[in-house]
Amino acid sequence: MKPLTLKERFQLSRFFIGEKATDEPVKLNHRRIFILPTHRGLNFAILTALLLLIAFVYNNNLVYLLAFLLASIFFITILHSYKSLAGLILQKGRSKAVFAGEAAGFEILINNPVDVERYNLQITLEQTESLALKPQSKASVILYSLTKTRGWHTAGTVTISSAYPFGLFRVWSPIRFSLKALVYPKPSSLELPFPETPSAQSRQGESRKGADDFYGLKMYLPGDSIKHIHWKAFAKGLGLFSKQYGGDSPAEIWLDYDNAPGRNAEERLSQLCRWVIDAERAGIQYGFSLPGLIISPGFGILHYRKCLEALALF
Amino acid sequence: MNNAHNKNVLIFLLSSIGLIALPHVGHIPKVLSVFFYLLLSWRFTGIWKRNWLPNKLMVFFLTVCGLALIYSQHQGVFGRNAGTSLFITALALKLLEIKSERDLYLIAYLAFIVAASQFLYEQSLFMAAYILFVCCVLFATLVCINSGKPQPGAALKTASIITVQAIPMAVVLFILFPRVEAPKWLMFNEKNQAKTGLSDYMKPGSISDLGLSGELVFRVKFTGALPPPRQRYWRGPVLSHTDGKRWTQVKDMEFGRFLDKIVFKGPPYQYTLLMEPQDKNWVFALDMPAVFALPLSRNANYQLITDENPDKRAEYKITSYLNYNTGYITRTEYKDATQLAGEPSGKIKQLVKQLHGFDGAPEDFIKHLLNYFRKENFHYTLTPPLMEENPVETFLFETRYGFCSHYAAAFVYSMRVARIPARVVTGYQGGELNTAGNFLEIRQADAHAWAEVWIEGMGWVRFDPTAAVAPERIERNIDIEQLVQGGFISYMPAGAAQEAFNWLKQTRQLWSNIDYNWQRWVINYNGRNQSRFLSSLGIDDIKAMLYWMVCGIGLITALLSWFLLHQKQKAVDPVLRIYNRFCKKIIKQGLQKGAGEGVKDFAGRVKKKLPEQAADINRITGLFIKLRYGRNATLDDLKLFKELVEKFKS
Repeated sequence: MKPLTLKERFQLSRFFIGEKATDEPVKLNHRRIFILPTHRGLNFAILTALLLLIAFVYNNNLVYLLAFLLASIFFITILHSYKSLAGLILQKGRSKAVFAGEAAGFEILINNPVDVERYNLQITLEQTESLALKPQSKASVILYSLTKTRGWHTAGTVTISSAYPFGLFRVWSPIRFSLKALVYPKPSSLELPFPETPSAQSRQGESRKGADDFYGLKMYLPGDSIKHIHWKAFAKGLGLFSKQYGGDSPAEIWLDYDNAPGRNAEERLSQLCRWVIDAERAGIQYGFSLPGLIISPGFGILHYRKCLEALALF
Repeated sequence: MNNAHNKNVLIFLLSSIGLIALPHVGHIPKVLSVFFYLLLSWRFTGIWKRNWLPNKLMVFFLTVCGLALIYSQHQGVFGRNAGTSLFITALALKLLEIKSERDLYLIAYLAFIVAASQFLYEQSLFMAAYILFVCCVLFATLVCINSGKPQPGAALKTASIITVQAIPMAVVLFILFPRVEAPKWLMFNEKNQAKTGLSDYMKPGSISDLGLSGELVFRVKFTGALPPPRQRYWRGPVLSHTDGKRWTQVKDMEFGRFLDKIVFKGPPYQYTLLMEPQDKNWVFALDMPAVFALPLSRNANYQLITDENPDKRAEYKITSYLNYNTGYITRTEYKDATQLAGEPSGKIKQLVKQLHGFDGAPEDFIKHLLNYFRKENFHYTLTPPLMEENPVETFLFETRYGFCSHYAAAFVYSMRVARIPARVVTGYQGGELNTAGNFLEIRQADAHAWAEVWIEGMGWVRFDPTAAVAPERIERNIDIEQLVQGGFISYMPAGAAQEAFNWLKQTRQLWSNIDYNWQRWVINYNGRNQSRFLSSLGIDDIKAMLYWMVCGIGLITALLSWFLLHQKQKAVDPVLRIYNRFCKKIIKQGLQKGAGEGVKDFAGRVKKKLPEQAADINRITGLFIKLRYGRNATLDDLKLFKELVEKFKS
């Protein structure tokens, strides 16, 4: 961890949203961990004061002693609270692309390299996950964050916190990882037919119908659907072939931004997204054009992702 | 909070609350104890049978019931007894309404208050240990609430560890926290609480809480030898008249009481007595004063009275003798000393008869009665139960817990039933020897009551029934070393002293020593004792106290933090630690192991940079893999690994 400059050290944001986003694993230490009493802790302090008052009024030394014991426990709990987080190493994991409106999942890896058992850790992004860690163990947790718009969705501040042992103090550490998930546009809910493109105009209907008729074999190319692989031939050691069906080769559509219906860019992108999904599902070769970007017709998971990515980042 | 979680926590919480309220059963009204444990068991069954728990209306009804009970028992909610009852009832009612974690916390906090209120009744070492244990259980409950899966054993362990770690700091606070006595208006006037110190009457039942006030009453400096500790009786008012409950002085001190000349024997004790300001004009001379000067005078009961204003500190020179014979008594005195309030009950007569009170010599009866106190199950305690009706009988036949005034009253009463003239003498007993100044300090806590019996030919003879039950009460106000090495000295029968050195009595004495120190250093550590103790350490003013308090807490915190963090360092695998040292050596070459980089890949990179040491790097890497991931690594491997890394030069 790089040392902080004096200015960074006194930034209030460290307290709430954490330090600058990082790729590195973060070890929780006194720089990252903050402690404040909870409501219950404040009430506990009031309880201690009340006992002191009783001791004072009745001049009772054992009540004094009990009050002092509670006060000391309160004080020492600060150390134990700190201990409940200190030494943990948090690391960013993977994240998956989602469609807008869905929750993006971010994986956080938590490593407990020391001999301290962690009983009740709370990890919060938008919702809170609880987990316990044995000494010398690791765990991963996936935190979900709801997405609204397409593009890159950054994870924001992940807060790990604990109230162990007595719930009198909340100890927390806000951490920002440079974690981001790609968010594709939200697929339009309208079931519109594919656009009529010059190349596929006449055969479009036919192609969709005939998609089930076996047509022949061709050499497997990366991006071809796994479902279409001719496994029998592969088993015989003949190499990878893709089965071609009736509609496959002739059916080819162009998904064009300019032809997509919609009042604004977002609606058009949303419709394009819908078509991409439908075309991929139907097994149609689809080409794709956005202003300033043309993706030649293709098919398969890589092609599909490439198209959605282009839509997300447009 | 899920259900199973909830159940464990509840069992824990309810058990600890049952434990906390247990010692209160003795002193809160019985109805309230029953009410409390009824609700507690109700809640306990509610853990398994949720539907059986009361609904809102029922809870409201129970609340009204509880309040009515408190009011009927205490006529209010202020003061120690009513306050305790209030908290216990509130705790019981809150138990029925557990909805969230917040309620659990409220209950735990209430339970802490109930636990503390226990100390207002009893301050023994046992009680302190018990409450400490109970507090650990309560904290364990909090741990259970805050761990994901409650494990009662682990929670109790954590709570105990933290509590033990907190004790040093609590002790520092206890010693150094400035004690200020509460102003008078803050003192709740407890109807049943008598202030320590002597008054002109004694009522065994009413002085239920003889606090251990350390307030100084007078100091005595002897010119010669000191009288033996068990003979240090400082004579105060003599109480001859009783109405069955109260013992008072006779009103007319002159008429019909002309004194026979006292014959003094043995060595004289000369001393200077320094009285602290008092509100009564009594001067507590060593029993029996012989020579004194004006303004002192001796009344018909051989008590010294001063004519001057007792409000100021005053010094008197007195000579006393321990052996004396007061001679005969007059008919009026005989009448006073055998007076009883009404006919004694059959039970007492039966007892007196059984102990040969009616048919034997007075000396024999006295011996039998003292033996009776010693052999039967009588206890000495400073917090006996209240005895409202027939205090003497209640004490003799039912409770059998009491302190000096109970024993003295019971003794004198029994004497009178046997038509033997007897009376109660109050005053002080013992005194602490201040070795620095070589004088005795007599404090309010030394207040005592004993008996005098008139015996033909011997005059008034002093008997102390308390000594029969609690010899340590008579012995304890001498300095501690004397107590430890000196044997068990029973006052009355000389024969008992011989058999004193069996282990049981030694244990008892050791215990009484511990208890005495507990009382002295913990219970009675008030503002005055504190400033005396601290100034002996060179801490004189409040500024120095605060300074040392902050220093002490700082030191303990530093030690604790070091202790807690140090443990973590130790936890790292030695193999990994050595390997990290190796990596550090490589860093000097500008090569750093990536976070996810394999050991072998890293070794490959290092070898490229340091080709001449490739063999060593290979061996280190190989050993590391064997030690960390292999099955049959030996200690020798570890040794070799360490050696190689240490020798490695980059």
